[in-house]
Amino acid sequence: MYANWSELREKETAGMLAACTRCGACYDACPMTPHIPAAQGVAPSAIVAGVLDLLQGGAGDAASQGWVSACTRTGSCIPACPEGVNPTLMLRLAKFRAQENGTMPPRDASRAMPTVKAFARLGFTAEEQEKWL
Amino acid sequence: MAVTDALFWYGCNMTRHAEIIRISAHLLECAGVPAAPVGGPGACCGSPKESQPRVAEGMARRTMSSFNDSGAKQVITWCPTCHMNLDDFMGATQEPRFGHAHVTEALWDRRAALAPVLTRPVTGRVLVDTHVGFNDRAPVNEAVHGLLRLVPGLEVLEHPYRGASYMCFGLAGVPGALPAHLERLVAAAREVEADTIVSIFHSCHRELVALEKTHGFKVRNWAHILGESAGLPHGDEYKDWRNAADPAALIGAERIEAAGADAVAKYVLPELNR
Repeated sequence: MYANWSELREKETAGMLAACTRCGACYDACPMTPHIPAAQGVAPSAIVAGVLDLLQGGAGDAASQGWVSACTRTGSCIPACPEGVNPTLMLRLAKFRAQENGTMPPRDASRAMPTVKAFARLGFTAEEQEKWL
Repeated sequence: MAVTDALFWYGCNMTRHAEIIRISAHLLECAGVPAAPVGGPGACCGSPKESQPRVAEGMARRTMSSFNDSGAKQVITWCPTCHMNLDDFMGATQEPRFGHAHVTEALWDRRAALAPVLTRPVTGRVLVDTHVGFNDRAPVNEAVHGLLRLVPGLEVLEHPYRGASYMCFGLAGVPGALPAHLERLVAAAREVEADTIVSIFHSCHRELVALEKTHGFKVRNWAHILGESAGLPHGDEYKDWRNAADPAALIGAERIEAAGADAVAKYVLPELNR
């Protein structure tokens, strides 16, 4: 059990950096790679190295940023890793870091909750709004 | 939040599909797991604010505390994003005082109690929109196929195609990925001569409903089909709105006014008209 998300991120990141051998098996297993133009022709090991750089607060490169952006959490990479790293979580943590330090643009979620609320007022009865929200 | 042994955590974006929440809650009760629906912004897993992890953590922590304080022994999830955040972040940083399971898994595990209420035949040759992801957390593909096979009259077809991601929402954010998935799904449906495509998750349903207009398939969520078989109201307002020539006219001025005309114009109609 971690004390908070910061500790979780710090310790999980340290474990990934220690275990990952940059073999690229995770990238090879990913079904999203055809949708990453910047990664075409780049060696999987180099792309993984870029992700590890992002994970540590670096800028990575276009290919690694492209992979981080294209991760849809299919999870095919998890059984592919021979070192027991969870690459899906690795990409997610790299994205957290890159968005926090401005390397990658944040997702604009400003419409998400107002939309959720507006649909609830349309579709839920008054009693359901009272009980369900 | 209602005092109950179990919560049905439907997530945020499911507010578009009130009838699916009603049907799911009813089916859970029939299966012996009465669970109070809870969701919306006040019970968010933090995912929408993931670009700001500190904000996301605050929302998730509040939700986790409220679940723990509710006294519920079990949380039944709908949204796979919520479910995975509970596994990976919420439950890894705050000790949960409850167990959790996905709604399809909970229903499938209790199919002996559920099957007797699924009495009304539903006709159709259905292909389920399956994805690879999330099945390592809960066997949703297997559970939904199994649940649909409990419905008398329904022909549940098989095809080996599995889309990437765990639901269509993820694909929609990657240029070219969602159109490629829809193309392969439609090809699979034609290959097995399906007349209906069945969604598992809400975000898939949102992306698939337009196929009724463009490709001639019926599009239904698994819950709508089980609801129909159980004799429950199973109309799909979201689909009707999305496929209407004039969604605002279909919703009606009075209802729009009651929901807040400005908010509906700004947040609802752009989605329904896309």
